[in-house]
Amino acid sequence: MGWYNKRLAKSLWVFHVSASPCNNCDIEILDLLTPRYDVERFGVKLVGSVRHADVLLVTGIINDKVAPYVRRVYEQAPKPVFVVGVGTCPISGCCFKESYNAHHGGEAVIPIDLYIAGCPPKPEAMIDAVVKLVGVLNG
Amino acid sequence: MAETEGLLKDLAGKIGRIVEKPGRLYFEVADENILEVAGYLFRKMGCRLSTATAMEMYRGLEVLYQFSHDASGRYFCPRVVITDREVPKMHSIAPVVKGAEWIEREMAELFGITFEGHPFPERLLTRDNDKVPSRPLRLRRLE
Amino acid sequence: MSKTVIPIGPFHPLLEEAESFKIHVDGETVTDVEVDIGYMHRGHEFISERKTFTQSIYLVERICGICSTSHPLAFVHAVEDVDGTEIPTRAAYIRTLVGELERIHSHLLWLGLAGHFIGYDTLWMWAWRYREPVLELFEKISGNRNHYGMMRVGGVARDVRPEDIPEIAKTLDMIEKKMDMIAKAAADDPVLRTRLKGVGVLSRQAAVDYCAVGPTARASGVPIDVRKDEPKDAYGLVDFKAVVLENGDVYDKLVVRVLEIVESVKIVRQCLKKLETEPGPILNDVKEITAGEGIGRYEAPRGEVFHYVRTDGSNRPLRHKVRAPSYVNIPTCSVSCKGIPLADALITLASVDPCYCCTERAVSLVDRRGEPLSVDVLELSRRKTELLRRDIYG
Repeated sequence: MGWYNKRLAKSLWVFHVSASPCNNCDIEILDLLTPRYDVERFGVKLVGSVRHADVLLVTGIINDKVAPYVRRVYEQAPKPVFVVGVGTCPISGCCFKESYNAHHGGEAVIPIDLYIAGCPPKPEAMIDAVVKLVGVLNG
Repeated sequence: MAETEGLLKDLAGKIGRIVEKPGRLYFEVADENILEVAGYLFRKMGCRLSTATAMEMYRGLEVLYQFSHDASGRYFCPRVVITDREVPKMHSIAPVVKGAEWIEREMAELFGITFEGHPFPERLLTRDNDKVPSRPLRLRRLE
Repeated sequence: MSKTVIPIGPFHPLLEEAESFKIHVDGETVTDVEVDIGYMHRGHEFISERKTFTQSIYLVERICGICSTSHPLAFVHAVEDVDGTEIPTRAAYIRTLVGELERIHSHLLWLGLAGHFIGYDTLWMWAWRYREPVLELFEKISGNRNHYGMMRVGGVARDVRPEDIPEIAKTLDMIEKKMDMIAKAAADDPVLRTRLKGVGVLSRQAAVDYCAVGPTARASGVPIDVRKDEPKDAYGLVDFKAVVLENGDVYDKLVVRVLEIVESVKIVRQCLKKLETEPGPILNDVKEITAGEGIGRYEAPRGEVFHYVRTDGSNRPLRHKVRAPSYVNIPTCSVSCKGIPLADALITLASVDPCYCCTERAVSLVDRRGEPLSVDVLELSRRKTELLRRDIYG
């Protein structure tokens, strides 16, 4: 699948799964599309349907109500799909880990390939993560 | 203050223990009078309901309605104490104050209080979410 | 009954059978809107009882990422209300400065989204581009673009350095000029006016019945503004106007927000002038909070944020109640959305500026017989703008 990954790396289409976040990471992800950071020049595009997605960007603590739906979205995404956990919430639950409604990190729900830490991570950190992912895909 | 004096005069006999602080008036009201007091604050005085808070204390469950009198920037807060902790219930003020519908639904699901007369008593935040423990904010408290 | 979910934008998940607004339609007209929330429920009030007051400040910041200074401000007001703690004047000006800069960035964010929903992607890019310098100002003042951690009980955590003040003033000049440009472009565009005028009207009586707050209420003629009704921090020391309009439609809500940006720039300028000359401490170090209760509120960009704190003399709150403004504003959608064409449903739902963390905008449509429809509401909205443009410009 090495050659397939290389094709993928040329233009990654991302799908945004917001699972109980505080929305700061989501706004910073959207910020990447605006003229200051402009990730479209790397070929990264935000798509509206999970069937077109190469990368899933997961934000938030994934509370008990959305967890089955996040799982279903992951299963519907055409493989290979790379899951990126944005922010501290999918890593460990951030400050919400004591809640009655939270899982301890996103790994409990879906396998996550890449974590971007920060609360919220700066757009530069997210671009760095995309570049690293592209590097991994390119071998 | 003129509003406070008017309130205490018109609702005399329906108001129990009062705690007064600068810009804030907290007073206790019995369950059977809460609808009349809410109607007086909302319609006659023109207050706006900011929200309501439920707390569990040793003496019972307290439901505190927080009405804001925007013209003067003061708060008038009637407090209802429910002594039956096993099956707590009280009258809903939603028929009088439409803005109370959501907050009473939330108090019902997080504390287990039944609001009699509420038009749509369904769960608000934890609907279709069966993993959440029922009445999650109920714990023992120290006064 | 299986339901179809229609995503409304690239930044929302396509979650099957997850809905937050269920719109009932009859042909092309909306007859009813049901709201279902709970996807963001993280149990703040539960966690707050296990944290100290200072830890709670960091916790409440993360209730919402966009209005992330409004919640800490309301919370520290509530804790200070328990004992009537005073704060130093310099801290008051810094609090107001940060709060108003946040209002500017939040309204610009909304402006961009409104543009995106009706098909004006250029407006989206402009508004978010001019929002970036404001976020950089935050990074200069507090160290982070969002989630500033600036507030403390009794004052603020960090001071504004004198060498930063000229840069803040320069950014404000730029924002004022660009807002003028955007406002003129919006006012001169007949397509925009036709799209938004008279759409999604919320009557004054309905706004009062549902206890609506913020620009949603002010656009319907209800003159409430916490900054004027109960001025705390430096709001009693600066000069500004609360913007109140009367039609209650989406156009008025947009104009209220644009004018509020202009007023915020005025307030920030006055604060900067005072900060240049007013020395003093920035924190009144509070050692103890007595047992009691306190109410604190703040005029967030979306309306009144309300916090209530019950204390027992220790360093943790006994009970901490949070009520965000979208909680009272979102139910008004069931009134303002009745009888409007489906293509306008999206912009009407967005006009109350629902804070994302209270709602996801996955929408499902149900027709008269209760059967699901699959229609892309975002596409409908943009197509309507195109048709109008063709009508007006030929």
